[in-house]
Amino acid sequence: MTNREAEQRLRDEAKSLLESAKVDYIVGFADGSLKFHTTPLITRNKDDVDHLVINPFMASNLAKFLTELEGRVGIVAKGCDSRSIVSLVQDNKVSREKVVIVGIPCRGMINLSKIEQLAGKESDEIDDITRQGDKVVVKLDGSEKEIPVKEVLFDHCLACELPTPKEYDLLIDEPIPATPDEEASQAKINKLEELSHHERWRFWQNEFSRCIRCYACRNVCPACYCQRCFVEEAEPQWILSIPKWQDNLIFQIIRNIHLAGRCTDCGECERACPVNIPLRSLSKEMYDLVGELFGFKSGMEIDAAPLLTHYELEEAEDFFR
Amino acid sequence: MAQDSEWEPKLVGFLCRWCSYAGADLAGTSRKKYPANIGIIKVPCSGRVDPLFILKALRLGFDGVLVSGCHPGECHYQTGNYRARRKIALTKKFLEYMGIDPRRLQASWISASEGGKFTEVTTQVTKELKEAGPNELFADDK
Repeated sequence: MTNREAEQRLRDEAKSLLESAKVDYIVGFADGSLKFHTTPLITRNKDDVDHLVINPFMASNLAKFLTELEGRVGIVAKGCDSRSIVSLVQDNKVSREKVVIVGIPCRGMINLSKIEQLAGKESDEIDDITRQGDKVVVKLDGSEKEIPVKEVLFDHCLACELPTPKEYDLLIDEPIPATPDEEASQAKINKLEELSHHERWRFWQNEFSRCIRCYACRNVCPACYCQRCFVEEAEPQWILSIPKWQDNLIFQIIRNIHLAGRCTDCGECERACPVNIPLRSLSKEMYDLVGELFGFKSGMEIDAAPLLTHYELEEAEDFFR
Repeated sequence: MAQDSEWEPKLVGFLCRWCSYAGADLAGTSRKKYPANIGIIKVPCSGRVDPLFILKALRLGFDGVLVSGCHPGECHYQTGNYRARRKIALTKKFLEYMGIDPRRLQASWISASEGGKFTEVTTQVTKELKEAGPNELFADDK
């Protein structure tokens, strides 16, 4: 199926879901106001579904909207989004019957900042970016430049374990097998792990002195659904509301601990960060720890009990005296 | 805080109300000697210990944190300590990745009859914290 055919099929399916009143809302991606960007499309109107697109720039994780919308929702989901949805179902935040998952097999999303860096131009100066198999063709000033796709995908896409949703109601297009490249995706983390404790702490201290505590990472995260976040507690006030690095760091450490077993490594926190803190180097580490210690992968099995509500009789004993 | 021979680590112990706190009590009533470095906070269950408590203690300048509860299978609430175990294990590993010395977060299972074990654990933990040195993680000067 070509991309255009897939897009058409998606629009048809979305329209029929709305027409048959199987869903109240359709949540998907539409072209953004900037070149090579998409914007979430949330609609009850069947005429709007013609704006739905499928392209390599639909990086956002739409599962975030499920906890905010009332009624039945038809949602366009890449593999990683479907994991977030499954995780929300496990947490009883979303009822599976109220969601129609329209699965989209995904070959990875293109990180525009990586392209900008390689091309040496801002994205609005680039004429076209197209994906052709394992290459990305960038048209710039009348010439074409080919870049291997692995150099421009998001880091979390490189390690993708689930390109095609496992849990879905409809699947647009053929499933794609997973080809995770842990090495490439893990590069930043491996570098950090070579440092001493002291150096690592200094590294994070430095990164988080940039943090303005805008909470974009929290607000974009599908797993961060608490009505009241601990940072907003006043009695006791756990951390100061002014963005001092110490408190920024505590916020992020606790956020990651709260996300243990629910973070699906969708990379949204890092993408949303306005001051480019490598947040995925934290969330991915937690994701790996959860796998290493408890053999748990979030959002994979819909029947699995949430990580922190469950236990085995014998596990992790070596931490205890 | 300057590190000299006088320096003694400060340690917070979150002890569960049913086992470890009673264990500490027993150590006291049986006149066992344990380091005065530990300040004890009684919690209903080791499962009550939020990783936030640990971070907050470190942020306030305590040199280490000890979380202690009933032995596995002996929790007063059946499963609290199992849940604590998952949380603490993740927290410990994650804090180590962030760059916090793993010696600063310690955990143990101490039952109400183990006054001796309580003195052993606190002595050992205090010794390790002395080696780790003062907690300057959240100090402002770079």
